[in-house]
Amino acid sequence: MMINKIGYSNFLNNVAEDIDIPPGKYQQAVDRYESVGRWLEDGSYLGSDGAPDIYPQGSFQLGTVVRPIRAGAEADFDIDLVCELPINKDSTSAYMVKKMIGDRLNDHKRYRDMRDDEGKRCWTIIYAEQDGIGFHLDVLPSVPDRRYFSDTSIAITDRQGGFYQWSASDPRGYGKWFNEKNQAAFEQVQLQQRRSIMSKAPTIYLSVDKVPDQLVRTPLQRAIQIMKRHRDVKFNGVQAAKYAPISMIVTTLAAYLYQNETDVYAALAAIVSKLHGHAGLVENRSIELKLSSLDLIRRMSDGTWYIGNPVNGEENFADRWHEDNHARARAFFLWIDALKKDLVDVIAENRLDTARNQFKKVLGASAVSAHLGLLSLTEVAASPVKVTIENPARPWKP
Amino acid sequence: MKRTLASEIAELQQKYRGLTRVLETEACIELLGPLQFEASADGYEPITDEFEIKLIVPSSYPKELPWVRETGGRIKENYEHVFNNGKLCLAVPIEERLTFEQQPSLVGFVDKLLVPYLYGYCFWEKHGEHPFGEREHGEAGIVGFYVEKLGLSDDIQVLEVLLHLHQYGYRGHHDCPCGSGAKLRNCHGHALKKLYQLHTSETVRRDFCAVLKYCLQRDSEGELELPAALKRRTGNCLEKTAGNSR
Repeated sequence: MMINKIGYSNFLNNVAEDIDIPPGKYQQAVDRYESVGRWLEDGSYLGSDGAPDIYPQGSFQLGTVVRPIRAGAEADFDIDLVCELPINKDSTSAYMVKKMIGDRLNDHKRYRDMRDDEGKRCWTIIYAEQDGIGFHLDVLPSVPDRRYFSDTSIAITDRQGGFYQWSASDPRGYGKWFNEKNQAAFEQVQLQQRRSIMSKAPTIYLSVDKVPDQLVRTPLQRAIQIMKRHRDVKFNGVQAAKYAPISMIVTTLAAYLYQNETDVYAALAAIVSKLHGHAGLVENRSIELKLSSLDLIRRMSDGTWYIGNPVNGEENFADRWHEDNHARARAFFLWIDALKKDLVDVIAENRLDTARNQFKKVLGASAVSAHLGLLSLTEVAASPVKVTIENPARPWKP
Repeated sequence: MKRTLASEIAELQQKYRGLTRVLETEACIELLGPLQFEASADGYEPITDEFEIKLIVPSSYPKELPWVRETGGRIKENYEHVFNNGKLCLAVPIEERLTFEQQPSLVGFVDKLLVPYLYGYCFWEKHGEHPFGEREHGEAGIVGFYVEKLGLSDDIQVLEVLLHLHQYGYRGHHDCPCGSGAKLRNCHGHALKKLYQLHTSETVRRDFCAVLKYCLQRDSEGELELPAALKRRTGNCLEKTAGNSR
């Protein structure tokens, strides 16, 4: 016996939906950040020739949000908001830009009260909502910095100790890249999903076509959510927590490896097994040609690691992987190994209880409990198909 | 039509469990995954193996047949029977169609064409030779198929046969193009009629052009003496077709 694939895939989809932002919450978040955006737009900034451009970035924008776990419990959603001031980068400084946005937020009494300590790259406003599910709104001060053949790249501020410096970023370019990888699957699922969102939450949107694209989820986005949740649980409270793979790496690799599989399990299994095939890189062993030729994770001759930002090859997401005796690289592959055992190979499990307990452990009981009923057992897939060859055609080449 | 295809796909997935349906566009449906088989052929060792494949079913199926790529990197680059674009070259087109028609369904396509091809690859990998033989490259392979299938004796007869099909389709009361002097229906008619039914005017034209090209080349290299009358008739026929399409 083994776990029924269709049921399991539906289970994964529902768990991902559970840790995703619900449509009502999404709309609330949009309202919140639009208010902050308007407040920022109405400010005046030294050297600025116009209003700032405010837009979401990161998982909120990519549709790969998961509810974080803090101290073992489901916590507030994180939303990243870019605040791009139309100021020439050379006529200002990272410090000035960070400070001007901070001051503007301080001018607003409520935002001042809700502000968290200064972040490395952002100002954070904490919304405690009445239903107990709040937001951490990270506002990232930035200026245009058009490079790398991109008309959307920016410079963000980066505080190291007491010093501020610029750091390159291109959230809009990345979003565009991700959407391209996701596009075909998106086209496939969007109508049906908009309808289902409408029927589940009829009061939020006026009609099916008013349901925002950002709420449609493809199997790729669902698989990424599941991977991130598994990571969050695995690295929660452990000593190696600081080595946990960053979301940009997970998202980028998954998007590269996704081949338009139409269900969540198939997408996850394909992504995870291909990443698993890269594990030899830790010991500097060669990996299968079909994987190494993808050139996703590169081992440099000096032992360092390279996972390029798809829209800016100069940015290396794995720039710290060699530190502490390759701690981040090891953590990544240990995690992939666990992911494969916990969520892919588990399909061969023949005791439902064992599988159910494992899912609670690795994805969080609160996220999976309501969906465990979707799991069932089925006959093991038949052994290889027997074929008797008669009158075969002969291979040819034009 | 749509429902038939859906049930053919379901039937295929029922048999080859590893195949997952992926992207669907207006142009095609793709199935992806491991294909496991245990194949045997009379007089040959049984081989059990698994290949990662992508099967692409065009929307024009079954008028056009699916094509297949091997996605696992298993088939070596020096294996000759792969198109430059990565598609597996299962057989010359008319032979592919002939074999498919033995069991015209997606399962039939995999059982009759794909698995034998992969079996042949495994065998070649092990022993360095093809269990069931291979076709020569290019036009020569097409000529070879007709020689073998119709029991013809040389390239000129193949050209005559295709000229006949191209000009008239199948005409049983004509003299057999093999030159025996008998009526076609009493000579090569039976086998030829069967092939003709699998052809379209487009595939006939393609094979005719391929065979003609091959014969002209051999003629110019002095390896074959193409009778002047035949040259003239093919020339006329080509001009006529060109005229028609203008």
